[in-house]
Amino acid sequence: MTDIFNQVFSGLSIASILLLISLGLAIIYGTVGVINLAHGEFVMLGAYAVWFLEDHFGLGLFPCIVLAFFAVGTLGWVVERLIIRRLYGRVLDTILATWGLGVILQQAIRLSAGAELRYVQMPPGLSAAVHFAGVDVSAYRLFVLALTAILLAVTYVLIFRTRFGMRLRGVVQNPEIARCFGVNTSQIYAMTFAYGAGLAGIAGALVSPLKSVSPDMGTGYVVDAFMVVVVGGVQSLLGTVASAGIIGELSGGLAYLSNDTIAKAIVFLGVVVLIRFRPQGLFALRVRRG
Amino acid sequence: MEGQHKHPIWAKLVGYAAFCVVILILPLFITDDYLLNKLARYLVFGLVAMALSISWGYAGILNLGQAVSFGLGSYCMAMALKLRTIPIQTGAEGLPDFMVWNNVKSLPWFWEPFHSYGFAIAAGVLVPTILALLIGTFVFRARVTGVYVSIITLALLVVINLVVIDRQRLTGGFNGLTDLAPLELFGLTFDPYAHATYYLIAVSLGAALFLGLAVVHSKTGLIMQAIRDDENRVRYFGYDVAAYQTFALCLSAAVAGFAGMLYTLVMAFASPTFLAVPVSLSIVIWSAVGGRASLLGSAMGAIIVTGVQGSLSDTPAFLETWTLIMGALFIIVVLFLPRGLISLVDRIPLGGSARRRAAAATGAASRSGINAG
Repeated sequence: MTDIFNQVFSGLSIASILLLISLGLAIIYGTVGVINLAHGEFVMLGAYAVWFLEDHFGLGLFPCIVLAFFAVGTLGWVVERLIIRRLYGRVLDTILATWGLGVILQQAIRLSAGAELRYVQMPPGLSAAVHFAGVDVSAYRLFVLALTAILLAVTYVLIFRTRFGMRLRGVVQNPEIARCFGVNTSQIYAMTFAYGAGLAGIAGALVSPLKSVSPDMGTGYVVDAFMVVVVGGVQSLLGTVASAGIIGELSGGLAYLSNDTIAKAIVFLGVVVLIRFRPQGLFALRVRRG
Repeated sequence: MEGQHKHPIWAKLVGYAAFCVVILILPLFITDDYLLNKLARYLVFGLVAMALSISWGYAGILNLGQAVSFGLGSYCMAMALKLRTIPIQTGAEGLPDFMVWNNVKSLPWFWEPFHSYGFAIAAGVLVPTILALLIGTFVFRARVTGVYVSIITLALLVVINLVVIDRQRLTGGFNGLTDLAPLELFGLTFDPYAHATYYLIAVSLGAALFLGLAVVHSKTGLIMQAIRDDENRVRYFGYDVAAYQTFALCLSAAVAGFAGMLYTLVMAFASPTFLAVPVSLSIVIWSAVGGRASLLGSAMGAIIVTGVQGSLSDTPAFLETWTLIMGALFIIVVLFLPRGLISLVDRIPLGGSARRRAAAATGAASRSGINAG
């Protein structure tokens, strides 16, 4: 029993990190329609922001998370203004341009902060294990799980309960009609991109104490996050949550049965088959074509 | 619009022929074998970028898994050469060294036929082609298009890369296949620094360019371009869109597999990094910078980009900055030159366009004449 619970928790832990990373990507892809291959680098920048602030100013993790959100979010806004807005309607070209952006960001960090691995301290209050339902679980991972839930709730409220969210949904449904009603679509796109980037920054900040921080840490994340978004279905917040849960638990379970590599290979194969039969994802109700 | 040929076909042929002549006479001016080896590598990259251009530039399939074909070709060649390494480095009964270290007792069944060069060379082309055939049929029959094709090919690349690294006992794992014998064929030895290897690669690239040109200018090639521009319209005309898309993917995979085999010859090893995501994305970059809808443009894009990169690799600090510039350059090309550097060549006026201008002028003159009358 404890074995199963342990397994479920480790799957949940993988899922929460996956969800954190893919949430920003899902919002950007779902609303702006841009495949942001630099998303992994946004995550990486969030992690470096924490390392830098901790190392140079002695800040703790919590203020760093907030600062990482605004720093990476601002960068996202600038990127949207300079590059992305010129590429609306050219989806495949956004893949290329954002990949180039990723190369630049990665290299800029390598040149400024160095290529060596960096380590971030876990907050002292959360480094212990918590005894929970008969098993020991890492307090930090519980914290990540809780914060993911909070961010999800905030995002939900933002999209479904605010004026901004209403405009955003309008733009997604029909940009032209939204414009007719006086919605500044270009501003909505920029803010959405910035918010998605900011979420990536938070994700980076949160994973930094768990993994070593390096310039190329983002590359792996972006592929994983994509699989989550595609499986969940574009434009479906709930779908992204469910798919992160499914992929996380599946990876955890398969890794327990074989090893991490084979687990990942099997999950990806599953995703390929799924896209073949349901390109719109598992949870999308309606697909817009063209 | 994108596929419009501004220049007449003879101008294109002259350009392609000139490129072939240049790469064939280049060794006459190079005495440094090391430099020749580097050049040969760039030409291989040119070949694989050209292969991508067939599927991406002409059929609109952005295959982010191009490195799968490239890497599989490379492994097929490396397996044959591994089985021929001098006995000291191999185990009992010609068992490759890494298998001995991994406690493998006998040669796995799929290694067995690689004792024959003929089989290995055929496999280097056919294995990627058959895989592309399976993927193409699987994906295109369901009318999956655009971004989803890219994601599927990317995911498959990751899967194959993971499996190759994980099955260390059979594939050499993370280290790949090293300590290879040089290829000996028709009395020639193709070791990495030999002139023979360079010429083999240069001739292959030249032949592939002309072959590719013949295909894209054939009726099949025209339908491929029509599918790229408007898939549904081609379908309404009664063409089997999926078959043409699969064909483009297969042709591209075959050429990329061949390039992979050549790459093993110049590098003298095969590694899982050959079939990894960074290689795949680099191929896309080369093709985009050179001009995705031009075979020669893609090839030259690869040669220019890797050439500049290679010449800077002696000064590491410079190389680091170059990567930065490279990223920026790439974004600029995507934003402002979506048809790549080769589209600059299209702007050079030639006899054909001059005649067209003259015709337009006469047309205008006759019109004004009518008005006057």
